[in-house]
Amino acid sequence: MSRINSPAELESFRKEILSQRDPDKPCITLCSGSACLATGSGKVFAALEQEIEKQGITAEVSFRTTGCHGFCEQGPIVVIYPQGICYLKVQPEDIAEIISATIKEQKIVERLLYVDPNTGEKSSLEEDIPFYKHQQRLVLGANRKIDPKSLEDYLAVEGYQALAKTLFEMTPEQVVGEVKDAKLRGRGGAGFPSGVKWDFARNAPGDQKYVVVNCDEGDPGAYMDRSVMEGNPFAVLEGLMIGAYAIGANEGYVYVRQEYPLAVSNLAIAIEKAEKYGLLGKDILGSGFDFTVKVHRGAGAFICGEETSLLNSLEGKPGEPNARPPFPATKGLWGKPTNINNVETWANIPLVINKGADFFSAIGTENSKGTKIFSLVGKVNNTGLVEVPMGASLRDIIFKIGGGVPDGKQFKAVQTGGPSGGCLPENLLDTKVDFDELTKAGAMMGSGGMIVMDEDTCLVDIARYFLEFLSDESCGKCTPCREGIRQMLKILTNMTNGLGQEGDIELLQELAETTKGSSMCALGKTAPNPVLSTLKHFRHEYEAHINHQKCPALACKELIAFYIDPDKCKGCGACLRKCPADAITGEKKKIHVVDQGKCTRCKGCFEACPAAFDAVRILSGEPVPVAVPEEV
Amino acid sequence: MVNLTIDGKQITVSKKATIYEAAKEAGVHIPVLCYAKKLLPYGACRICLVEVEQMKGRLIPSCTTPVTEGMVVNSISDEIRKVRKTVLEFLLVNHVVECPVCDKGGECDLQDLTYEYEVVTNRFEGEKFDLPTDEINPLIERNMNRCVLCGKCVRVCDEIVGYGSYSFINRGFETKIATAFDRGLNCEFCGQCVSMCPVGAILPRPFKFKARPWQLKEVDSVCGYCGNGCTVTFGTKDNEVQTIRFNDKNGVNDGNLCIRGRFGISYVNSDKRLTRPLVRRNGHLTETSWDDAIQVAVAGLKAAGDKLGVISGARLTNEELFLVKQLAKTLGTENLDHSGGECYKGVTEGLKETLGIQASTGTFPQVEHCDAILSIRSDFYETHPVFGMVVNQAVRNNEAKLTVIADKRGKFTKLPNARTLLHKPGLELNILNAICSVLLDEGLAKTDGIEGLNELKDALKDYSADAVAAATGVGADAIKQAARELAQADNAAILLAYGLPYTAYSKELGTAAANLALLTGIAGRPGSGLYLCGEKANSQGAVDLSILPGEKGLGAQQMLAAAGTGELKALYLIGEDPLTSYPDRALVEKALEASFLVVQDLFLSPTAQKADVVFPATSFAEKDGTFTNAERRIQRLRVGITPPGEARTDFAILQQLIQEFGGQAPATSAEAFAALAAETPGYEMVSLEMLGPQGYVWGGDILQPESKKLLPVAGAVAVDGDYQLLVGSSLYHSGTVSTGAKGPMAVVSEPYIELGREDAAALKLVDGDLLKLKAAAGEIQAKVKVDRRLPKGVLFTPYHFSQLELNRIYRGQAAIAVEPVKQ
Ligand SMILES: Cc1cc2nc3c(=O)[nH]c(=O)nc-3n(C[C@H](O)[C@H](O)[C@H](O)COP(=O)(O)O)c2cc1C
Ligand code: SF4
Ligand code: SF4
Ligand code: SF4
Ligand code: FES
Repeated sequence: MSRINSPAELESFRKEILSQRDPDKPCITLCSGSACLATGSGKVFAALEQEIEKQGITAEVSFRTTGCHGFCEQGPIVVIYPQGICYLKVQPEDIAEIISATIKEQKIVERLLYVDPNTGEKSSLEEDIPFYKHQQRLVLGANRKIDPKSLEDYLAVEGYQALAKTLFEMTPEQVVGEVKDAKLRGRGGAGFPSGVKWDFARNAPGDQKYVVVNCDEGDPGAYMDRSVMEGNPFAVLEGLMIGAYAIGANEGYVYVRQEYPLAVSNLAIAIEKAEKYGLLGKDILGSGFDFTVKVHRGAGAFICGEETSLLNSLEGKPGEPNARPPFPATKGLWGKPTNINNVETWANIPLVINKGADFFSAIGTENSKGTKIFSLVGKVNNTGLVEVPMGASLRDIIFKIGGGVPDGKQFKAVQTGGPSGGCLPENLLDTKVDFDELTKAGAMMGSGGMIVMDEDTCLVDIARYFLEFLSDESCGKCTPCREGIRQMLKILTNMTNGLGQEGDIELLQELAETTKGSSMCALGKTAPNPVLSTLKHFRHEYEAHINHQKCPALACKELIAFYIDPDKCKGCGACLRKCPADAITGEKKKIHVVDQGKCTRCKGCFEACPAAFDAVRILSGEPVPVAVPEEV
Repeated sequence: MVNLTIDGKQITVSKKATIYEAAKEAGVHIPVLCYAKKLLPYGACRICLVEVEQMKGRLIPSCTTPVTEGMVVNSISDEIRKVRKTVLEFLLVNHVVECPVCDKGGECDLQDLTYEYEVVTNRFEGEKFDLPTDEINPLIERNMNRCVLCGKCVRVCDEIVGYGSYSFINRGFETKIATAFDRGLNCEFCGQCVSMCPVGAILPRPFKFKARPWQLKEVDSVCGYCGNGCTVTFGTKDNEVQTIRFNDKNGVNDGNLCIRGRFGISYVNSDKRLTRPLVRRNGHLTETSWDDAIQVAVAGLKAAGDKLGVISGARLTNEELFLVKQLAKTLGTENLDHSGGECYKGVTEGLKETLGIQASTGTFPQVEHCDAILSIRSDFYETHPVFGMVVNQAVRNNEAKLTVIADKRGKFTKLPNARTLLHKPGLELNILNAICSVLLDEGLAKTDGIEGLNELKDALKDYSADAVAAATGVGADAIKQAARELAQADNAAILLAYGLPYTAYSKELGTAAANLALLTGIAGRPGSGLYLCGEKANSQGAVDLSILPGEKGLGAQQMLAAAGTGELKALYLIGEDPLTSYPDRALVEKALEASFLVVQDLFLSPTAQKADVVFPATSFAEKDGTFTNAERRIQRLRVGITPPGEARTDFAILQQLIQEFGGQAPATSAEAFAALAAETPGYEMVSLEMLGPQGYVWGGDILQPESKKLLPVAGAVAVDGDYQLLVGSSLYHSGTVSTGAKGPMAVVSEPYIELGREDAAALKLVDGDLLKLKAAAGEIQAKVKVDRRLPKGVLFTPYHFSQLELNRIYRGQAAIAVEPVKQ
């Protein structure tokens, strides 16, 4: 097939592709996202190819690699259609069995199925796995159905239908109107209404305008943008083109984080293919609309994700923010009106156009529409990418999809919104994921990071941890952010080291408010969130650290001591053998004693002591009793 | 206009104003650190935060936030005070406070704010910066331990200077300002960063430990170097100009200066200055009294009868030049000239014959708003750096399209999107002709009311873009584009500098530029301008006052020739060193040898060493009077210090000579101004009182041409030879005076021959090697400097240094055919 010159040609090409595909023919899909590749998906791929050949079933099955499925901790993932049988943690040596059993004999390989850690139940179908069952995958859904390098696959799932509709059936105003009516809000952090932003750029004076995809994704642990970009680059490009048409731009840039090589290469392939088919470049689909796109690899700093910094970086300047106003919509790249949106925002656009604003705005809450992808990590049974409708409760995400906290530990807090998000306690678990609700509760939507913490997590230490990241990532341009974060970090570090002083909480509060109220960009304006939210919901932990040198979670090393309970010690010597610091003295059948001076608080003894004895105790905020090494 | 309320005051300001600017207008003081009037909004220090009722919940940076209708602003409150104080505490955490020995103490924004906000203790603590200071260059010291990261140095160097020395490196606490690869500073040394730094982090080294700011007396005057006419404010103490102070209120330069203006002042305090008159006795110049010297001079000049000539420099004030003219009259001679006699002909003849005027048509500041700019020669930046900075701002802030007709690359050709028409040496004219021809061919020319169209059309037949492209080595498309841009721009400017090293085709270039200015409509159109800029501080004054040969008189070159043959018996040279700076050394040598020679100068220049009488004169820092800069701006000089020893002002010397010859001279400089104004076209209505802080531009912002005559100019023919030497100005020097100043000499201390990498490789030369250049008329030799500016086969040398004896081979050619011989 060569260039597609009209919507009619597009449709006939799509029909041709679909007609060649038999929905009942077995199809083996293998996830080839970054995470699965890291756990061996490449080798599994080779094994699959070989085995299909060897067993002589090349004609009977189709085989495709796909983008990320989101359940990365269970990868490499193999799903077999039409049934949707899902095998997890598949290794090359499992392949022969999968082919002979499942493909040839329609039998399930039980040992590769998902097992619910709470109930022990197995699920053979992907859609039955609780992790997937409670999601609504409007954006991520296509990832597992298509090979990201195949334009044909994308066309098979209605690809470019939205573009054709925009170019031939809608005026730019109507496109903007549709996005406004859909009430789509930006997924990159600030949640600004995308249609309104498009309108600004559209109405800004100037002939030359730009559209930009923000795929910098600097939040540690977050990877939803990577998965969308790697798994479905065509959708992002299609959204981008629709936006370009709407605001009157003919050039676009995709700013991709340096560490995302697969996203870059899949994107480059997508661009090349789209160009070949006339779905990028001059006179797209014969509409007269021209659009070119360039890929730019990021400079590797968190701040480069902030829109003005990103644009500076694109121009080859240092990635530092500018004061706004002027906003990029009026004065952006090279001083021209520029519309910048997040990857996920752009990927939502084809959906909005295809299904319409009514469909889209029916999902979600009053002011937050559609779905949102979260990166669910931390102390939770199922980690991975989770796409839920706006309005889902944190509780449902963590317990229904995430399967709750592992090892029978107590849930303590959930942090949403990336490093400068906030921590919410148990009693706020019914908060809905909604831009405004989360902010009201003291957290934020951010770009969708979600970290679950259990009872062993010290919230003072967590605040310190995030501020350390933010202090390193502050660009240093404005005074309050550069210094304020550092000073907060200093106070928090002192607290976790047992050097907290009276007045620290008040000073911390003031610093947090000053930094929040006076910093230049959102990095500084939101950096105090971890402090403010933990001060609000976990103030007692701060007080314990300062007033009693006590870490209630028993996590701050400088504030804890390991003590062997003389009543429980059986003198077995397990702890002594484990201690790397020679801090434990004792003989067989004699009570063992920890030398506090030598102890490095590595927790080795605590873990080594047989559960039946449970003699090692962690103390904090209280004196360590003197122990005598007498006979047991 | 927008109405808003600040601290209860109702005010109306431009809708482009920021809250800070509005407050300033309303007389409300808001502290700032990173804000500077001339830089783009930045908003990083956060000291200027205010409250805006419409934007509750956060503080608003007043320096970046535009005003909006009905805005209600509080510039101070308990909350604001607290936050500002906290910001100051933050800044002081790492700052190494060493006010007692910091040169900035007393005028440091950080010190002042710390005092104003009573930051007596600091609730925060942290490491102090411990960075090495950068003292590698002799002019600018950088002590980053005092830096508050306001970014002004970075921005001024980029936005105004267009050099880009600095950038922020690292993040968070490690953030600092650094040069490329964090090396020592090595740049144009204009010192704009020095003047912008609000603290003691970037300081002028020559001023170190010289004085506390409050001990300095400030005197506003005008730079004595180039025709840009920048305001310089002397900081004087102990009868020395200790430093040049920042002044962005007066004049045309918005506080910007080049290395010469900022760091080139020291020659006025040099111990090599002449302090007593000298007369030649027994073949030796010997010190003598003024009476004696005057008598010897008068006798010598009288003996010459009317066979004498007067040549002046263009660094004299208008009042002094007026006396020069008076003297010539009194002496009964029309042999009067200035500046080598040839280089200004673009103005006096080229413009005169076409536009009927003898000056630039526009003012400098309006160039910032131009859409298209054509610079004839890349050296324009070297000769007029601060005007060059205006061009940079037009390019950056206004996206002006800059075209440079260049025989070598330079600062201009490196500006963003600059189009360089790099041609074979000497062929500027051909390209100008080609641009005119494109305008005519493409119907872009504005021809209403213009004479000589047909003649020009005929004459331009051989100068189609394609033909000229082939002859000059420039792309035809580039020529066409340049023509179109100039024709289509609302506001456009054409720049051409003249001066001693640019004698060749002076008149023709002026004519060709005028043709282009007519065809594009630039001449006389508001917002646009043709700028023919004189090299020296008062070059325009000299032309205005007609320090030129009379109808029957001889020009400088002819005078020298006549003196050489004995036709003229005596020469009086005022503030000129022809032996160093005039073309054709043999001619000058012969003239100086043969005639009775009176030289008036600051130093015992090579020319003065040949004199029969030497009068010690005074520098611009020691006199009052006026200069007229290259945009016709008449500005006042003021006395900063008293002259050394017995040195006298040129004014006083000339006055006495006139009287000796029985003439009448005005008693004071003010009287002289009134007298010269009365007889100088354009000055008739000007009085000294009219010279306000911005001076007075005679003829108005736009000088209307008196005629609109196109005059065909024949193109030039390329010079033959594998190697061709260009002569010109170096950025760091101006004329010969700057070689007596420590600042410029610290950067470029000796003559050099510059060549491109390709040639250097072919000739096996590296930096510092000694190279001899043989030419038809002789040879010169100097150290080699390898650069990327020069095309293959093209060499460059600056003309400022007497020891090079460049004029042995330079006789006013556009380029000199040379044979390089490695020594
Ligand atoms: C410190 C900082 C980092 C940011 N990083 C990202 C990022 O990695 N990806 C992103 O899409 N937006 C990021 N943003 C938000 C962008 O500034 C901008 O709001 C977003 O790209 C707009 O797109 P949207 O309207 O589609 O959300 C960041 C903001 C800040 C302040
Ligand atoms: S920079 Fe200012 S505050 Fe710092 S030492 Fe110098 S005078 Fe003092
Ligand atoms: S060196 Fe001076 S001008 Fe430059 S950033 Fe530091 S304080 Fe500002
Ligand atoms: S030499 Fe010229 S540009 Fe430099 S400061 Fe003096 S007048 Fe200004
Ligand atoms: S002066 Fe406004 S932020 Fe620095």
